[in-house]
Amino acid sequence: MKKLTDLEYLKLNKFQVLLYNLKRFFCAIPGWFVNMILAIGRFFARCGIAIKDEFVDIGTTFIKGNWAVKTSFFIFGFGNLFYGQIARGLLFLLFEIVFIGYMLVPSGGIYWLSKGNWFQNGATVGTVQGGFTYDPIFDTDVWVPGDDSVKVMLYGLLTIIFIFAFIYTWRLQVKQCRICMDITAQGKKIKSSKDDLKSLVDDQFHKTLLALPVIGILLFTVLPIIYMILVAFTSYDAAHDGYSNLFSWVGLDNFNDLLDFGNGGLGLAFGEILSWTLMWAFFATFTNYFLGMFVAMMINKKGIKLKKFWRTALVMTIAIPQFVSLLYVSKLFDSSGIIGELLGKIPAIKNYLNTNHYFSLWDSPAVARALVIIINIWVGIPYVMLQATGILMNIPADLYESSRVDGASPFQQYVKITLPYMLFVTGPSLLTSFVSNLNNFNVIYLLSGGNPINTQIGSAGGVSVGHTDLLITWLYKMALGSAESKYYTASVIGILIFVVCAVLSLIIYNVIPSTKNEEDFQ
Amino acid sequence: MKTENKIKKSGLGARASRRISNTIIYIVLIAITLTWLFPFFGILMESFKVNEKGMDGELFPEVWGFDNYIRLFKETDFLKWFINTALMGIATAVFQTFFVLSMSYTLSRLRFKARKPLMNLMLILGMFPGFLTMILIYKVFSEAGLTMEMAPVGLVIVYCASSGMGYYISKGFFDTIPKTLDEAARVDGATRMQVFYKVIMPLSGSIVIYTILMGFMAPWGDFMLASYIIHENSAGMSVAVGMFEWLSKTMLNTNYTMFCAAGVIVAIPVTAVFLALQKYYVEGVTGGAVKG
Amino acid sequence: MKKIIALLLVLVLALSVVACAPATNTPAETQGSTTGTGSDLTGTYDITMWVSEKEGVADQFKTQIAAFMEANPGIVINAQIEGVTEADAGSKVVADVASAPDIYCFAQDQLARLVQAAALAKPGTKAAETITAANDATSVAAASVAGTIYAYPMTSDNGYFMYYDKSIITDEDAESMEKIIAACEANNVKFRFALENAWYTASFFFATGCKSNWSMNEKGEFTSVDDDFNSVAGLAAMKGMQKLAQSTCYDSNADIFTDAGVVITGIWNADAAAAHFGDNMGATDLPSFEVDGKSYHLGGYTGNKLMGVKPQTDAKKGAVLSLLAQYLTNEECQTQRYTEFQWGPSNLKAQASEAVQSNVSLAAFNKQAAYGVPQGQIHGSWWDIAKVLGADAKAAADDAALQTALDNYTAAINGLFSMTEEQKNAWGVIGNICNTNWDTDFAMTDNGDGTYTSEVLELKAGEEFKFRQGASWDVNFGVEFNGANIVVEADGKYQVKLTWDGEQTGTVELIPAE
Repeated sequence: MKKLTDLEYLKLNKFQVLLYNLKRFFCAIPGWFVNMILAIGRFFARCGIAIKDEFVDIGTTFIKGNWAVKTSFFIFGFGNLFYGQIARGLLFLLFEIVFIGYMLVPSGGIYWLSKGNWFQNGATVGTVQGGFTYDPIFDTDVWVPGDDSVKVMLYGLLTIIFIFAFIYTWRLQVKQCRICMDITAQGKKIKSSKDDLKSLVDDQFHKTLLALPVIGILLFTVLPIIYMILVAFTSYDAAHDGYSNLFSWVGLDNFNDLLDFGNGGLGLAFGEILSWTLMWAFFATFTNYFLGMFVAMMINKKGIKLKKFWRTALVMTIAIPQFVSLLYVSKLFDSSGIIGELLGKIPAIKNYLNTNHYFSLWDSPAVARALVIIINIWVGIPYVMLQATGILMNIPADLYESSRVDGASPFQQYVKITLPYMLFVTGPSLLTSFVSNLNNFNVIYLLSGGNPINTQIGSAGGVSVGHTDLLITWLYKMALGSAESKYYTASVIGILIFVVCAVLSLIIYNVIPSTKNEEDFQ
Repeated sequence: MKTENKIKKSGLGARASRRISNTIIYIVLIAITLTWLFPFFGILMESFKVNEKGMDGELFPEVWGFDNYIRLFKETDFLKWFINTALMGIATAVFQTFFVLSMSYTLSRLRFKARKPLMNLMLILGMFPGFLTMILIYKVFSEAGLTMEMAPVGLVIVYCASSGMGYYISKGFFDTIPKTLDEAARVDGATRMQVFYKVIMPLSGSIVIYTILMGFMAPWGDFMLASYIIHENSAGMSVAVGMFEWLSKTMLNTNYTMFCAAGVIVAIPVTAVFLALQKYYVEGVTGGAVKG
Repeated sequence: MKKIIALLLVLVLALSVVACAPATNTPAETQGSTTGTGSDLTGTYDITMWVSEKEGVADQFKTQIAAFMEANPGIVINAQIEGVTEADAGSKVVADVASAPDIYCFAQDQLARLVQAAALAKPGTKAAETITAANDATSVAAASVAGTIYAYPMTSDNGYFMYYDKSIITDEDAESMEKIIAACEANNVKFRFALENAWYTASFFFATGCKSNWSMNEKGEFTSVDDDFNSVAGLAAMKGMQKLAQSTCYDSNADIFTDAGVVITGIWNADAAAAHFGDNMGATDLPSFEVDGKSYHLGGYTGNKLMGVKPQTDAKKGAVLSLLAQYLTNEECQTQRYTEFQWGPSNLKAQASEAVQSNVSLAAFNKQAAYGVPQGQIHGSWWDIAKVLGADAKAAADDAALQTALDNYTAAINGLFSMTEEQKNAWGVIGNICNTNWDTDFAMTDNGDGTYTSEVLELKAGEEFKFRQGASWDVNFGVEFNGANIVVEADGKYQVKLTWDGEQTGTVELIPAE
């Protein structure tokens, strides 16, 4: 597609400009893909080079190093101890002892790794199946526990992580040792433990601050996510819960199921739910955004009194737990609820409901979808209103002044000044709210529970599919809401949710200008 | 002479039209306020109903009374749940504030090699649905004895551990504090830690209070994760989980009005704290939103 | 310097691994050490229990446990009791068997899953005899999988019937669904029937004679289903359901009584019904409906609530729990539960008592029980699949839509059985043998030479059985290929042997064991 010059661009009318920008956006998509593939390629190439460099460096370190350096190849921290960094050296040494001890003790690392049958299709995770034996004296069955697949997989995973950490630490202390050697050779002084501690509150202060939060994220987010990705390749469900019945590796079966559009596959349901999820996220995000901004502008308008009161009234909704307020609201719209009954008396609505044999507003797919979006406005506006208030106050007043002098109407001011400014500033948060709306479990679960049931699809994989089900509520139904607790399907859905979010974010990231230059703004 | 007249006229016209538009805005605002507050009024009314018919579709009670509130404290473990939740709220507020502020301050003010990768990692992690992590966390906690009666402890750990990922708003706030302040202090010989607690913290009152507020409110509203970890143990329940049990099929009829009464009682402290600190909340959100 | 932090991080990880690693679970060593003490059960036991969340239930259990301790001196029980609704208890137990409560109450539809998840310790031989003798036959069957008792029957009242407003509906009208609908529409009151819940949806299908019988193996895994909802009779059921569902008086929420003229629900709502209808409350069996000139009486499931004991690693504790569960489900305790909560007993003696006989709701339940289908073991996903039929009937514009709904239903059910090659080729014995009723495949071993042998089975004279492959009737043997049932001639323990040429010829032998 031909890129227009500035002059040509300015000649276009509004509609043409929009068309031009849209076209440019979509024409750029292949380019992104190429760039992405190139970037991935470059990434691997860089990794390859880095690894090669590492090995070369290790080799030269061993050849050129003195005996202390060479010893530290086998005894952690030896070099540090040799060069007087006692604290560091001891820590390294302790780490090596702990690692070797952990790997070798009975029911240590090697034990767990050997039990996993890792990724062997059809093989169970864990080797010993629990079972009953009869105890004649007490006339009762006794449970003899076997392996627990869940634990085997968890400890196996932790062991693997531990091994990587071991390799990293080994490399680290060898490198340090060599640096110490070089520094000594140059006749300079080596950092003492005291210096180390001092730098923790100064140059290296970020490490002090980040240590706990990052460990928290590693243990409570990264580890479980890796684990659940593994689960997507197993048969982990209520019938194979790992403790009573071992579960097994099934390869890509679960992914095939979800993308199978034939009978018995989940493809149809997935497609249907995905399209509504996207639709929902779009409407939920933008209705809130524009209406919230609108309310903020009304409250902020010069001459409107009681600003604080209006704001407080709206913000109250944030303070009351959603599971109370949303449940109540959902009942309001029921056939016997106050609003539902009132609306049901309007002839047009009554007629619509009767001809379709719907008994409450929640029975109609279209109305239910509209209702969740409308009620979500009720939930979301206060947040947006608060955000927008702050930003509106930041817009330089002289912009409005000068535009008024030029004879701009309030609407023109809005389109030319307010909106662009808002979009520029809140672009990134619009992205986050879009992604969080994709996963807006509470609103859907509490309002409609995913209902009404989609009679075209009925149930897929033993779980009924509703017209207002989002991917996240579907995931919930699969994993926790149904009798079969299909953790494996849930994991696959989770992975696909991630893919959807990631792709969308990439696109939005590339379209909104303000996300890019973080430092510019400061 | 002519021009003067014109200005005068348009001034008058503008005032009139402003009055009209303001009136419209007032009407709209009143309508909005009523809509927004209506459910709370409804819940309040529901809680005063004295009958055991469950949802009867009426706004006002036929018979007024405090029966639901009395039942709440006499016949259920509500008080226990309430204390649990309040303690959880306080603990979460303390630890979460520490985690979030450390993370956001570091990412905002300090520059180091892993900064960008770390931010990207957290962005990516945020795209995985949190439900999935629940399953493993439950298993580990169950093994470590942090479920059932000990669930409040376990839940506080979960609420706080990954809370660093929610650094966006407070980072946005720190971004707005001029960097020249840090530099001046550094020139005077302050360490980075001293800069943090002597220069930046005193300026960050509103964001600290905002973070505390968010932390305090988290356990009151969460019921999905909480009910999973609590696993049906009434000694370890939070209000959300305990109240949700009342909505099961067999209990809905007798307990719906009591549920609303409990909702009112939960709303009181949270709303009170919230209204008292609203100023900081607003500052936090608006300041942070500038760079979301 | 970053090294130190990295190091610390790794150390923390390492320590957490070591700290979390449990004492080795070496299976061979920890099993039932019953050295010396004989069957002396004295001791102190800390147990956890889940019982109904209904107000007062937990307190009553506490009193009953105290009575148990009095009756069994030497046994001290510290029970921690939680209220968990019986409808969900099963799935919550299955979610984490290791830390499940020692004793829990659940609705019978969850039995199969619990057995499969090894979450139930079966009562010992003596206990099983006591249970069989004391309780009504349906409740014993409800507590059994493949002929073995796995749980302790607690109630026989889990089923639905009709509560109605006598001032609107005459006793005569109450026998016809059409008349009830007309009366409700005329008086602008609701006909509440939870058709979007499979448990209730089935009512119409049972009325027209449809069945949905599920077979499973001894492990509690479902192997096949004999289901004819998708048939002429099924279509009639759908039409009947459509009639009700598309009436303006219909409401699918049967858990509340708002504006209700009729509510199809169970005994658990007896109090709410009394509060709503007052003196006008009527309770009776479900009505009949008419489709294409034929009249069908609505059916329904009858079911039980059961008490289960979690498998123990310590035989002694297991024995005590079994004893306790037996006590808590005996005549006395069941009667107490009836008196306080109107739970219909499964115990035969308790059922015979005057108070139980005169209860209006229980009378209605028993009246409906004549049209009821004892709820066997049903695949957990069926509930979700079948409930869609209710929604379908409501939404259907014509008969074609009803038929499509049934087709979707069949497809979804068949989708549940994706068998491996191995399972498809496996042979099994099925019949009314070993206390089962043509719903259980007893596995056979493939000897590799064209012969297949079963485990040792205890057969009684007159019992009938057949062989089938892949838990389906496509390939089956009776006295000949696809032939009549084989009849057992004399009581005894047999191994059943099938010799098969892979086509249509084969021989059947009964080899007496020992």
